[in-house]
Amino acid sequence: MKFIVSSIQLLKSLQAISGVLNSSNTLPILDDFLFKLNEESLVITASDLETTMTVTVPLNQAEEPGSITVPAKKLLETLKTFPDLPLTFIINEETQSIEISTGEGKYKLTGHSADEFPKIPELENTASIQMASGVIATAINRTLFAAGNDDLRPVMCGVFCQLSPEDVIFVATDAHKLVRYTRKDTQSAEVASFILPKKPLNQIKGLLSHIDESVTIEYNQTNAAFTFSNIKLVCRLIDGKYPNYDAVIPKVNPNVLTIERLPFLSSLRRVAIFANQSTNQVRLKISGQELVLSSEDIDYANEAKERLTCNYLGDDLEIGFNSKFLLEMVNNLDTDEIKLEMSEPNRAGILLPVNAESSDEDVLMLVMPVMLAS
Amino acid sequence: MDTANRHVIHLDLDTFFVSVERLLNSKLIGKPVIIGGTSDRGVVSSCSYEARQFGASSGMPMKLARTLCRDAIIVRGDMEMYSKYSKMVTEIVAERAPLFEKASIDEHYIDITGMDRFFGCLKWTQELRKSIIDNTGLPISFGLSPNKTVSKIATGEAKPNGLLEITGERVKPFLDPLSIKKIPGIGDKTYQTLRSMGISNIHTLSQIPMEMMERVLGKNGNMIWKKANGIDNTPVIAYHERLSIGTENTFEQDTIDISFMRQILTGMVEKVCFQLRKKQKLTSCITVKIRYSNFDTHTLQKQIAYTSLDHVILAVVKDLFERLYQRRMLIRLIGVRLSGLVHGVQQLDLFEESPQLIRLYQALDRLRIRYGSDAVHRAITTI
Repeated sequence: MKFIVSSIQLLKSLQAISGVLNSSNTLPILDDFLFKLNEESLVITASDLETTMTVTVPLNQAEEPGSITVPAKKLLETLKTFPDLPLTFIINEETQSIEISTGEGKYKLTGHSADEFPKIPELENTASIQMASGVIATAINRTLFAAGNDDLRPVMCGVFCQLSPEDVIFVATDAHKLVRYTRKDTQSAEVASFILPKKPLNQIKGLLSHIDESVTIEYNQTNAAFTFSNIKLVCRLIDGKYPNYDAVIPKVNPNVLTIERLPFLSSLRRVAIFANQSTNQVRLKISGQELVLSSEDIDYANEAKERLTCNYLGDDLEIGFNSKFLLEMVNNLDTDEIKLEMSEPNRAGILLPVNAESSDEDVLMLVMPVMLAS
Repeated sequence: MDTANRHVIHLDLDTFFVSVERLLNSKLIGKPVIIGGTSDRGVVSSCSYEARQFGASSGMPMKLARTLCRDAIIVRGDMEMYSKYSKMVTEIVAERAPLFEKASIDEHYIDITGMDRFFGCLKWTQELRKSIIDNTGLPISFGLSPNKTVSKIATGEAKPNGLLEITGERVKPFLDPLSIKKIPGIGDKTYQTLRSMGISNIHTLSQIPMEMMERVLGKNGNMIWKKANGIDNTPVIAYHERLSIGTENTFEQDTIDISFMRQILTGMVEKVCFQLRKKQKLTSCITVKIRYSNFDTHTLQKQIAYTSLDHVILAVVKDLFERLYQRRMLIRLIGVRLSGLVHGVQQLDLFEESPQLIRLYQALDRLRIRYGSDAVHRAITTI
């Protein structure tokens, strides 16, 4: 195998997919990139067995098609140090030696046989949907933070995607908070649903923010594949039944608090500093048109209390929340005003944007309170 | 603060675990006693001076200790009991001392700076020591000096059951002839490094330029050099009791009736969980303890997400008990302890707990607050 490639272009392509690599692997081959040389392009693959990413790099010159794996860390470290210059790769598949030469330098490293690299899963019986890159990027940004980390509840460690001819719905929850993001401007011919794991979503989130094009999502019972630009990501879906999230969203919420987002956010941030640092609990006391935010940390005799004016419809109410959850959510909304709908101190509070710009999207955030002593 | 004129005491209970065991069983007095895991894979957690003469030391594998000291009486040990005695000592210290730090289960530091004007530090210390020995019956050693490090070294020299005062001007003459191994913070590795440099006593170490120490030992070098020169400005940090809530029950008659014990456990969990919620605390660690009729005591614990709900904790307790009760032997005691407590109230879960369940908890707690903690409980706990 022999090819010439621009160092910057190669580095950029590798960095696009290198996030898939784990820092420690049980299979040593997973520390490598798979290089596959065609007539006019180089296809590079990185995999952690669950998620596989492939990028295609156009080449000026390629001879003797073939394939080999290249140690990822060494290659990335080397490429980072180069200015933009053409690199010549000469690879002997038999001895698995890789020789990189620039004008002045020559670097040798040893790879592994491409046969050892796990096979890229071929998706069979797939259905597919097209989505704008912006739609996916926003959907991930809005929901991913709410997904859980608990290995005992694996289905919650991902984002649930629900496709239908009317709309597309993304849901994430860790059982304490929940986000439901609906896009009415995107539809699917078929009704389908699947759970995407966090890791691949984090990968494409970064990549999609730079581009503006249509992304093809293919899926079947076990896998999903995202294709855009010169990149393809294939990931295993989380197996299992997603909890019935609709049933836990309270439908009747007579107590509605409307408040300016930024002042609320900064008060909340301040008050949270004085809360117990393991439980982060803050208390919201609403009476008339006044909201009192308070927190305390008994062990250190820390205490904070702030008064905010608000617009409130409903009975006087006292409710406690984990400030971390509340902060993440209020931070993730971008309207000037937000609404907090509540029914009782023991039931979920619903955060909604007020006067959202786009009518194509709909965000609902739900946060479970803490059990305040009555 | 004037660091030169401080008065810091280090007090250390001699072979603490062994002393407690001897208090409970006088047959052990004067004999080599080793405390630790009884299996071959266990380690020695403490041993008496008699056992040390044979070469046994704490941290050693039990198998090795047993070969070194064949006649040793091996005791499995009971942390709960040791904590109880440790607490007794802490209480006596807390009663008298202006500022103290509990460094470990058998060590305390007390800052008595200023006491010299009223009572005389040594006299005060002697009185405290006598009071501890009289009240607990445990042998204890003291070191009194201007700082923590020198006090700790002095205690080591005072042992067993002694007292040593090192005043400011006597710090250097006291430290100089001692082996560098006596400095807290010098472990086997540092010791070997320093020995290979030809340093064996503290005097030589204190003469080495500080820069060189830093080069050889890194950041640690600076600290060790200061200690070798009798300099230690670390303050005595006030001690806070690590909180836990627990209960245990010794049966009137030893039993192997598992369903009866499950009943008892359920009742215990109800009781401690109510206390937890009443105090607005959450727990993150659950410990279950059983004691067999031959006094062998076993505990098992599990870390969980912060909670104060009966049914969550009960499930864990039952599981721990299941795993703990392996030997088909009569049990004389079971206990439940919740630790890792933080102040806060229960975070509700979207899917696990229904609003009805939460209202039930709140209603039950209201009843208990009004009519006493025994007012209402699960039917299974009625015996």
